[in-house]
Amino acid sequence: MKQTFGSFGKTLLAAGSLLAAVSNVQAESLKIGIAGPVTGPVAQYGDMQKIGAMMAIRQINEAGGINGQTLEGIIYDDACDPKQAVAVANRIVNDDIRHVIGHLCSSSTEPASDIYEEEGVLMITAASTSPTITEKGYELIFRTIGLDSLQGSLAAAHIRDHVKPERLAVIHDKQQYGEGLATTVKDLLAADGIEAEMFEGVTPGDKDFSALIAKLKRNNIDFVYYGGYHPELGLILRQSREKGFDVPFMGPEGVVNSDLAAIAGEAMEGVLATAPKSFDQNPENSALTEAFKARNEDPSGPFVFPAYAAIQVMTDAIKATGETDPYALAEYLRANRFDTTIGEIGFDARGDLTESTFMVYRLHADGSKTALSE
Amino acid sequence: MSETALYVLQQLINGLTIGSTYALIAIGYTMVYGIIGMINFAHGEVYMIGTYTAFITIIGLVTMGVGSLPIILLLALITAVIISSTYGYAIERVAYRPLRGGPRLIPLITAIGMSIFLQNYIRLAQGSRDLAMPSLISGGISFGDPALFEVSISWMQMIIWSVTLVSMTALALFISRSRLGRACRACAQDLKMTNLLGIDTNRIIALTFVIGAALAAVAGVLLGLYYGTINPYIGFMAGLKAFTAAVLGGIGSIPGAMLGGLILGVTEALTAAFFPSEYKDVVAFSLLVLILLFRPTGLLGKPEVEKV
Amino acid sequence: MQRALFPALFSALVTFLLTCLVIGVKLEQDGPELTVVNADAATWGWIAFAVVAVFLVQLFHQPLSALKQRLPTPHISALLPREQLRSRLTPWLIALVVLGLFIWPFMVSRGSVDLATLALIYVMLGLGLNIVVGFAGLLDLGYVAFYAVGAYTYALLSEYYGLSFWACLPIAGLMAATFGCILGFPVLRLRGDYLAIVTLGFGEIIRILLNNWTDVTGGPNGISGIEKPTLFGLEFSRRAAEGSQTFHEFFGIDYDSSHRVVFLYLVALLLVLFTIYVINRVQRMPIGRAWEALREDEIACRSLGLNPTVIKLSAFTMGASFAGFAGCFFAARQGFISPESFTFIESAIILAIVVLGGMGSQLGVILAAIAMTILPELAREFQEYRMLMFGGVMVLMMLWRPQGLLPMKRPQLELKTS
Repeated sequence: MKQTFGSFGKTLLAAGSLLAAVSNVQAESLKIGIAGPVTGPVAQYGDMQKIGAMMAIRQINEAGGINGQTLEGIIYDDACDPKQAVAVANRIVNDDIRHVIGHLCSSSTEPASDIYEEEGVLMITAASTSPTITEKGYELIFRTIGLDSLQGSLAAAHIRDHVKPERLAVIHDKQQYGEGLATTVKDLLAADGIEAEMFEGVTPGDKDFSALIAKLKRNNIDFVYYGGYHPELGLILRQSREKGFDVPFMGPEGVVNSDLAAIAGEAMEGVLATAPKSFDQNPENSALTEAFKARNEDPSGPFVFPAYAAIQVMTDAIKATGETDPYALAEYLRANRFDTTIGEIGFDARGDLTESTFMVYRLHADGSKTALSE
Repeated sequence: MSETALYVLQQLINGLTIGSTYALIAIGYTMVYGIIGMINFAHGEVYMIGTYTAFITIIGLVTMGVGSLPIILLLALITAVIISSTYGYAIERVAYRPLRGGPRLIPLITAIGMSIFLQNYIRLAQGSRDLAMPSLISGGISFGDPALFEVSISWMQMIIWSVTLVSMTALALFISRSRLGRACRACAQDLKMTNLLGIDTNRIIALTFVIGAALAAVAGVLLGLYYGTINPYIGFMAGLKAFTAAVLGGIGSIPGAMLGGLILGVTEALTAAFFPSEYKDVVAFSLLVLILLFRPTGLLGKPEVEKV
Repeated sequence: MQRALFPALFSALVTFLLTCLVIGVKLEQDGPELTVVNADAATWGWIAFAVVAVFLVQLFHQPLSALKQRLPTPHISALLPREQLRSRLTPWLIALVVLGLFIWPFMVSRGSVDLATLALIYVMLGLGLNIVVGFAGLLDLGYVAFYAVGAYTYALLSEYYGLSFWACLPIAGLMAATFGCILGFPVLRLRGDYLAIVTLGFGEIIRILLNNWTDVTGGPNGISGIEKPTLFGLEFSRRAAEGSQTFHEFFGIDYDSSHRVVFLYLVALLLVLFTIYVINRVQRMPIGRAWEALREDEIACRSLGLNPTVIKLSAFTMGASFAGFAGCFFAARQGFISPESFTFIESAIILAIVVLGGMGSQLGVILAAIAMTILPELAREFQEYRMLMFGGVMVLMMLWRPQGLLPMKRPQLELKTS
């Protein structure tokens, strides 16, 4: 008994020192926080961001790291809840991490960005599209995705030039993303002389839209722009078809999701959407797309490549400046252009991309989409 | 008929459909409250579990190659009823029975805890994302001048009406004609006295929970087919609306629950018809508050005398 | 043993029915396709384990419960020193604890202080709800509405009129108290469960209104850029706005972000101490006694000449005002508020804190609030299971110890005999 204890104790000691040694080595790596929803109803979008960023980190580490350091991605869950996002931001600062990819939902990024700017943490979001995030004059906040305002104006232009509806309805889901987009589209079209006959909100989580559809029918609507996410639009499409209300719909990138096909089925055919360019269709990215597929990860999500690009620009800046100080990196990001998986990009004074990455697509019932010329 | 009349008719049809499902779930609340005076917060989750079970059964049968739609639906209904009833029974047995007779606050907390527990239990088991099934029963009839407004009634809506009607009738007959039904009524009137007269009140109470759960399961199957999508959080809102319906009709009264459900459904639909749809929920809650303030016993309820 | 066999089999069957489909079979969505797959072997293992466990427990029900009877039940009060000693030590102990609370943040990491601040907010909320639920016995399920009112009051006043945190603090409390009064009036005549449901309805109505009234409250976008509290006008930021100075400039030290964290913690601590002091005083006043009388038996209360209207209103108003203070601080700390933070679940959590701590017992509520905030942080790997455990713990606590961890002891004096 004493013997086994002795050898057991030695093993423990060995394991302990090995662990200590390993963790020492870990301490040399550059930690990058990846903040987004891991749990909750929009977890699949957080997943897109995560696989994009982690793939970039993995590939960079395989190529030898940055300036001799390995990168380490640490996942933080904010469940798309502003309160949890604030807690996550505080935790990231506590954990001495000064580079963050995230958050995802605009309502989470908004309060978190206040903390990051205050505490000197560089933040690049690959998914938050609300314009207000970069309107506060912050130095350290960037994004590798287009703005809602760009998405909205693209949609409005398309509606004005190609759809030319006689009786337009604009519906939204009363959330920041959806209502913001819907308001932008409505106002832009109104300025061009197309007044919306209906402008209404629905409650997210609601399942029964028969009343709304009857109202749309009654008002003889011939085109609907929907600002919001796929669960509600899917149900609206499905129920519209059942009730014989067959008009074209258009939505933002929040509805471009394979789940939309599951919910709406055939009713999804022909729905228009503005979405980031499908970077996974770009032949230049074929190797990367294959790498994702080899790991059973879906590269077609709208935030996968922007997240990858975010890591790219961050590490390019680190390599070029030779340091990891967020302020130095921020200066470098603003002053230069980068060759990334989402194309050649640059940042303006506010931290937004200088080029628009959105396009108009027609969605199909099998989940695929075709690009329409603008 | 004028255009407005047709439009109102359509909204009435929509309202009656959703209202009948509220009624089915509301009966569970009202029966339990009538007998043991407790609000079963977890009832909405039992409805949600019924929906999930129906989905699992339907997809499972389709995967196994069963072709006949009526058989699939029937089996889904039976399975959902069995599983939900088991849940109703188990919840009562485990969480509520030990607390009977104590202060009223305690079972309420337990019920809230149970509701949260079940929501997350299903979330962990089946994922928090929406799960969607293609429409199994589609199409319907429509009438009315297309130039004015075309009213459409889908087959699914008619199925919902008929199944609800059959269930309500079955329940009404059971309560009024059978021995167990009589025992239920006796327990609702005076629990202690019924116990003294030799009826096993524990079993009757358990039966009440089972019946409520079974009806909620029926609603779950119907709505699962009607909407085609489910997630673990649908129980909360449905439960709240159904509870509003039960209170509206008079909590403790089964016809009241039926009436309350229909009224709530129609009110919601008509509100959405003439005002922005986002105010649908406000109307439901405001109705609840107003009824409780001005007529707490509801439309068909009997005023409760509090004995000193 | 024989008699236990059938119930045991029945329970095992029930357990199997409960789990076989809902856990044992998983729905998987693959694009437009929905399929079912058997859950993995580990899950079936758990199902089997549960069924067998339930069977065995039911089978050996008799001997197990006999065993449970013989286990000593922990009497927390027996662990404490004698009454005399306690009354002499207690003031010193309290002073020591308070001193420790003031000194502690300077010695630990910023994260702990941040967490402690969050815990203090919940302590305030718990103590406030304790007045309504614990003392007066009125079941309020919409308490979060007052919290929201306090938060939005500060946010709006700060955004439109530029009022500072300290100026808004009493205003927020007053606004919340007013809403408490408004809510209190209609519910005066309602009993128990009806009261609970109406308050729930009110809570939801407030949230929906905040979400829909975009012009004023920002709707779902909420209000951002809320000012943090200042120390006599000194800001705790890296750069000061024009016209004011920053804390570190004034004292000539380097900027350190943890200054603000510690300052916020101290503000919260002051608010909590104020809350505890006020509630303690009021508890000993006639109105406090009246609350308890109302809780015990309203009809007897009325027959003794006490006016239940006034008593209920005072409970609601006072409880609401503390939620208003907490809301004001919450808005200041977070810098951003939106209706999403004020859902029914929040009310449920605060209610759970009060009930788990022991309704009416201030110390119990404080401990429960701290536990409720700290435990999820410690068990971060169990993040997924957090809400599940929360629900489960609520149920278990009610079954095992419904009077709470530290049941309330009325402040009392013992007469010394001879």
